[in-house]
Amino acid sequence: MLAVAVGLVGGAALMAVYGYDFVKAYRALFLGAFGDFSGFLETLAFATPLIMTGLTFAIGMRSGLFNIGAEGQMYMGAIGAVFVGGMLNLPPIIHLIFATVFGMLAGAIWSLPAALLKISRGVHEVVSTIMLNWIAFWLVTYLITYHVADPARAERAVPAQETARYLVIGASLTTVFILVIAFSLIAYFLLWRTTLGYELRVVGHNQEAARYAGINISKTMMTSFFLGGLAAGLAGVSQVLGRPPHWTVFATMGNLINIGFEGIGVALVGRNHPIGIIFASIFYGGLLHGGRFMEFEAGVASEIVRAINGIIILALAIPAALDLVKKIFPRKNRGETG
Amino acid sequence: MCMNRKALTRTESILAVLLVVAIIAGAVGWTQPGQRIVETVTSTVTVGGSAQTITTTRVVTSTVTVERPISPGAIKIAVVSDIGGRGDLSFNDMAFKGGDEAEKDLGVQMVELISKTEADYVPNLETAARDPDVKLIVGVGFLLSEALLEVAAKYPDKNFAGIDTFTQALAVQKTGKPLPNMLDIVYEEHKGSAMVGALGCLLAAHYNELGGNYPYIGGVFGIEIPVLWKFEIGYKWGCDWGLKWYEQRFGKRAPLIGEDGRYGSGPNWRDGLYCPQAGQCWYKGRVLWTYTGTFSDITKGYAAAKSMYEQQAIAVYNIAGPLGLGINQAVQEIATEKRLTSGPPYWIGVDANQDWINPGFVIASMMKRVDRGVYYAALLTVIGKFKEVVADTNGVLVLGIGTKVGNLAMEGISVSTLADLDEFIKMGVDAEKLTGKKVLPMSPEEIRQKVTEMRQNLPSWIWDALTELESKIRSGQAQVPMVLTKEEVDRWRELLG
Repeated sequence: MLAVAVGLVGGAALMAVYGYDFVKAYRALFLGAFGDFSGFLETLAFATPLIMTGLTFAIGMRSGLFNIGAEGQMYMGAIGAVFVGGMLNLPPIIHLIFATVFGMLAGAIWSLPAALLKISRGVHEVVSTIMLNWIAFWLVTYLITYHVADPARAERAVPAQETARYLVIGASLTTVFILVIAFSLIAYFLLWRTTLGYELRVVGHNQEAARYAGINISKTMMTSFFLGGLAAGLAGVSQVLGRPPHWTVFATMGNLINIGFEGIGVALVGRNHPIGIIFASIFYGGLLHGGRFMEFEAGVASEIVRAINGIIILALAIPAALDLVKKIFPRKNRGETG
Repeated sequence: MCMNRKALTRTESILAVLLVVAIIAGAVGWTQPGQRIVETVTSTVTVGGSAQTITTTRVVTSTVTVERPISPGAIKIAVVSDIGGRGDLSFNDMAFKGGDEAEKDLGVQMVELISKTEADYVPNLETAARDPDVKLIVGVGFLLSEALLEVAAKYPDKNFAGIDTFTQALAVQKTGKPLPNMLDIVYEEHKGSAMVGALGCLLAAHYNELGGNYPYIGGVFGIEIPVLWKFEIGYKWGCDWGLKWYEQRFGKRAPLIGEDGRYGSGPNWRDGLYCPQAGQCWYKGRVLWTYTGTFSDITKGYAAAKSMYEQQAIAVYNIAGPLGLGINQAVQEIATEKRLTSGPPYWIGVDANQDWINPGFVIASMMKRVDRGVYYAALLTVIGKFKEVVADTNGVLVLGIGTKVGNLAMEGISVSTLADLDEFIKMGVDAEKLTGKKVLPMSPEEIRQKVTEMRQNLPSWIWDALTELESKIRSGQAQVPMVLTKEEVDRWRELLG
């Protein structure tokens, strides 16, 4: 709560400096994002992919990995969804399922090089995932430009066919949101209710102890990367098969870019907990959607809106980020983690 | 282990509580917005001495704004940018400029919404549409076509306009008929391109008269999409028209560019002209052209333009947005090397008046007046003719040279003149204020002086030719081909190179 207050005051100070009416602006922000039903649905639509990329980071953290590859894995998920959803003709429900699964697997497979490098050569995942992100970016840009471009519209890939689209609930929200929530709940039960999840978390707490206890660390890391990749893949899928009105990826990647990195902030705010991440994502989605009301009703320049959102998220993420720093540079024995 | 178990139960109990809340919320009818309580606020606002009573019905859960300015200026128009946003000195800035002018002339109020990603289009349009004072929502750029279709169909009592959009085509595809409240505003770029094509080739003729060696003009294009074919063929057709005009006016072929044998030889070639049928000859191959495949990679614009200038192209037309900066760089290199203060070589600007970017080296710009489009949409809304015009035009308003709506002249294409240079210098000044970066290459006075000098150094017959072409386009005597299909573009490339 203190963090929220600090973030809001920081944003207000910024607006005051530029001479905007911050009370009116905040009012517009919150009422726009949460004040009515269709606004709230739009907020959820913005939250949907963040829940998944946040989960990618969180699963990594829980098993002691600093996996920042969600961005690239999400691109692969999206292009996977384009391949099946846009290029193939299949019967209705089967098409949707096949496109979703294919996209998720594409994301998961993209996480494997980092996992293998880590296990076999000890390459740090920060280095490998960052590099893989860029490879994915240019690979997908290339594929969209030269292989899956919409023949009528060179600036984007072929849109998902009607048979491969999630149903629109309202505003820009589709039923893919339900799948995303289900995936989060499954991830939660997997992490806290199964042996696999237990092993994963033990490796995250203390690798040496885990090894001593006879846990197969390589296998656990592999699993962690793979699960994270599935989540990131689904984030990409959700933007293609579950986001009107375009149902596709632009060659500039404009509708995907940064969703993976924003997931890191969301995961930190949600304390790397699948359920916490859902709420953090909805909050962040509210900032993304509500921001336009600050612009529209209080006239706040769009750059300032982005800065305010950044300040709020930063303030919320700092506590968790400090924990992270402590974890990476252990000085003293910690009691417990949330 | 103990710790874990504790954390477990806590999370799960939170989950359980949330589930219950969700079920209750669902049961209460949160999912049915129609069931919410509605309250009526009656307020009296005095404006300019006269009292007006307004009654607003608002939903309790959203903002209850009691005081609203009620005046003729209460009509709001919203302009939603594409991801280029403010400060592009071209498309989006032009649209906002049109909104500013509508504010000044028509007393409307403009609200801006900048789209940061493609996912912002629909919510931005919808945010604007839901404001009861907003009567017109303008989406800038063809990327907003789908989003406009979705939102315009949802808010039938609001007017929607799109610059370069094809929303009505999508609507016809989907429902079989155009939307009654949506106006796609498109431009006759082929006519403007013909004008600058003629300018380019006459420029070559003039400098060749003075002993120059300029056999070509050039064009740097972006991604090969059908819209760009309009520019390409228009430009080539304009060059041909210009050289034919020269022939008539001076009774001889234009030196070098009109008569040389380098452009081709063979059965259909006669003295540097391509004559597939008797009595019908074309100045083929005078235009060097490259599709760079990008609208953003400035270095590709530089590379393409550089090779054109190496082949002695006198001017290169920028049809790839920011790649113009690459063309400018190629020109500037030559200028620095040869210590030139003015062209040739020149380049030709597009969309906005780009003559100020490198004064003395930009011979002219093919202006596509996005600002006029926004302005006309606002005007039609204010005078209450918007839907009428939509019905008359099937929802597609074409702005070009000599275009009209009823008796109102509504034009949107022109070749830049000295008169409109000032407006665009002001845009540069504004952008400097906005970004804090240096935009203008020199002071506004110096720009004006250099551009004026450059234009006055050209013989008046060049400008006469352009005036004649413009009036012939207006009267319909000159028909610039508008190419939209692959077959047509292939046919014209066969004739013009």
